[in-house]
Amino acid sequence: MRTLFASNNKPARRQERGILVLLLCLLFSPLLLKAQGDTTQPAATDTTAVAATTEEAAAPEMISPSISLTGIQQANNSIIIKAALKAKANGQFYQLYRMKLQAFAVNGEEEIPLGHVITDGMGKAIFTIKNDSLPADAEGKLNFKVVFAGNKMMDPAEEVLSFKKAKLEITPVKEDSLMSVQVKLVDGAGNPVKDATVGIFVKRLIQPQKLGEATTDENGEAVIEFPNGIPGDEKGNLTIIGRVDENETFGNLEASSVQPWGVAVSNKSVEQPRALWSSHPPLWMLITFIVLMAAVWGHYIVIVYEMFRLRKEEPHTEPQKN
Amino acid sequence: MELNSYQQKAFQHQRPFLEKYGKLNWLLTFFFLIWIAGGAYALYLQIAKGHGVTGMRDNVVWGLFIVNFIFFIGLSYAGAIIAGVLHLLKVPWGKPFIRLAQMMTIISVIVGPIFILLCVGRFDRLHHLFIYPRIQSPMTWDVMAVVTFFAGAVLFLYLALIKDLAVYRDAGLKGPKWRQKLYKFFAIGYRGGASQKRHLIISQNLMAIIMIPLSIIVASILSWIFGMTLRPGWHSTIFGPYFVLGALYSGTGVLIVAMWYYRRSHKLDQYLTDQIFRYMGYAMMVLAAAYGYFTFSEYFTGWFGSEKWDNELIHKLFSPQEYGWWTLFANLAGIVFPILVVAIPATRKTNWITAAALIMVLAMWVKRYLIIVPTLESTLLPMQDTRTEYVKYSATWPEWLLTGAGLASFFLFFLLMSKFVTIVPVSGLEETDHTHKHVKAPELTNATKEDIQPA
Repeated sequence: MRTLFASNNKPARRQERGILVLLLCLLFSPLLLKAQGDTTQPAATDTTAVAATTEEAAAPEMISPSISLTGIQQANNSIIIKAALKAKANGQFYQLYRMKLQAFAVNGEEEIPLGHVITDGMGKAIFTIKNDSLPADAEGKLNFKVVFAGNKMMDPAEEVLSFKKAKLEITPVKEDSLMSVQVKLVDGAGNPVKDATVGIFVKRLIQPQKLGEATTDENGEAVIEFPNGIPGDEKGNLTIIGRVDENETFGNLEASSVQPWGVAVSNKSVEQPRALWSSHPPLWMLITFIVLMAAVWGHYIVIVYEMFRLRKEEPHTEPQKN
Repeated sequence: MELNSYQQKAFQHQRPFLEKYGKLNWLLTFFFLIWIAGGAYALYLQIAKGHGVTGMRDNVVWGLFIVNFIFFIGLSYAGAIIAGVLHLLKVPWGKPFIRLAQMMTIISVIVGPIFILLCVGRFDRLHHLFIYPRIQSPMTWDVMAVVTFFAGAVLFLYLALIKDLAVYRDAGLKGPKWRQKLYKFFAIGYRGGASQKRHLIISQNLMAIIMIPLSIIVASILSWIFGMTLRPGWHSTIFGPYFVLGALYSGTGVLIVAMWYYRRSHKLDQYLTDQIFRYMGYAMMVLAAAYGYFTFSEYFTGWFGSEKWDNELIHKLFSPQEYGWWTLFANLAGIVFPILVVAIPATRKTNWITAAALIMVLAMWVKRYLIIVPTLESTLLPMQDTRTEYVKYSATWPEWLLTGAGLASFFLFFLLMSKFVTIVPVSGLEETDHTHKHVKAPELTNATKEDIQPA
């Protein structure tokens, strides 16, 4: 590097040094600015990383996770319990994945194990439980407990869930072109539940789409109109879902039925010849490609041929020394 | 192969650099090799443990490797366009650095695609690109374009070298015999005969004519890998010319820096003159203005339309909490600074222009990062898995190590090539090349005034 900066001209050398300092300042200025502006911590996303970060800050401190539960009573007499395991560290919540959660049915002092599920990438676990043999307490409530046993980096955690037994039924009715959905809500003993809000949805790709809602009468019944023109699958089938959300006594209930009430929408793309996934390229594209490649490679061939001719024409003389 | 006295002088001046490697060069070679070895270790980790060692995940599927690929391949296209134009227009002041442009072309087109290979998860299926190509896919276009361009770049450099190779062959340079044999083989018997000259000129002209549109097409194809998708910030009709201009601009910068280095290390002041730096500075300024115009147009259209995803991207790019400081750096150092340096007469000096070019090249690298990563972080579909590492890209040390290795190979190739061929092409030089001085016209005497009176 000495040769690069060794100049006999003093002003020029000074100028070079000045430029070098300016270069360095400009180079590092965004880094400094970014460091000042960046207040967010690097995100630790798995549990070991969370643990490592925490250990660095204060070695013995344990992570205290928490569990949140949602229960859904299905019309087919099963209960779905959705559990989410998360923990707060460095001021942020992290979903804890690949953790074992155990579910129990609780009846007084008795705890009946129902099984275990490992949390997924979002820290969620879903238990599907048959309703038939579950014991209800004196008030007719079903009680559940979900437990995380903890590990050497995390404290144990548990959460309970209680709701009364109930059943939601939906009956799709079609009269001429008018469609409606009749819903009926009864409790565990078969008595109608009145003044409960029931919503009607159709299943979509990401989330169900709400189409209407109604309140049950003294017979536990309600009728909700179903609109025309909802896009269905390729046969026009729609999955209709009736739902009671977060009822104070019965929690969440759900029932579903598949009906050919939708507009048939094909997911095949046979009518799109220019789609990228079609097996044949458009003719113009093929021709353009071939013409361009032939033109360029043709030139290369001509040039290589010229080089061969050049080599052939080498005069047979002794090389001249320079 | 005969040389005139001026060409002889130029050759004799550069001869020691061909014959001797020197301590500094050995040191640099060792330094670059250490970087390359580091890169090899990172590559081993990547193959053994998978792409999980990089910061690339489900949503942000491209990172530093693609940034480097675009950067280097852009330099290559720029080198070809600059060398092609200088050759065709027979620009006299361009002759001393045309070889540097050609060297940049060939070296970049070797280094650039290596980054694509690093990005590919399954090396073993690489040949499928050629066996089962789908003409509809921009990926296929790019593979074909890069292969075709590589062949063209090799031919282009080779044609320009033939005359000089004949000079080296006949000069009896000190050094190993195999090198002499290489010179002899590649000089293909060129002795400077009239017919041989004709073949060479035809080939060179043909090649220069084909390389300019080819570079423009392949640079556009590169942009279409992005432009053909519907992603915000990519799906733009100006992406083709934007990439061509970006490539040409950063290539001009790298060329200026390379000229500055070799002018110092090879003491080429009388060939790579201040005037050449000034002219290249003007070219850089014009390209900066044009690139600034394209950048403004791109951001302004996205911002004004207020389409949801475009808005999100613009917010990401300009928010100080996200990429705001980098956007500021890319635009100030990449566009405003070079314009100011060349526009102000006091800073329109070789060192200043080189400094501006170096900073601009860095800023243009950052710009490529800003084109790729923030867009990939703006997903069109709702994300099913929102782990932070999936949402936000963060380059890992193996990626940086491989980037360093790529850069080291770029420099090492330059170093090695400069030991095989002269930086300033000797056979193409003409004595008038460096003497473009404004000479005051002699005052007309009465006698001469009378001579030029109309009869």
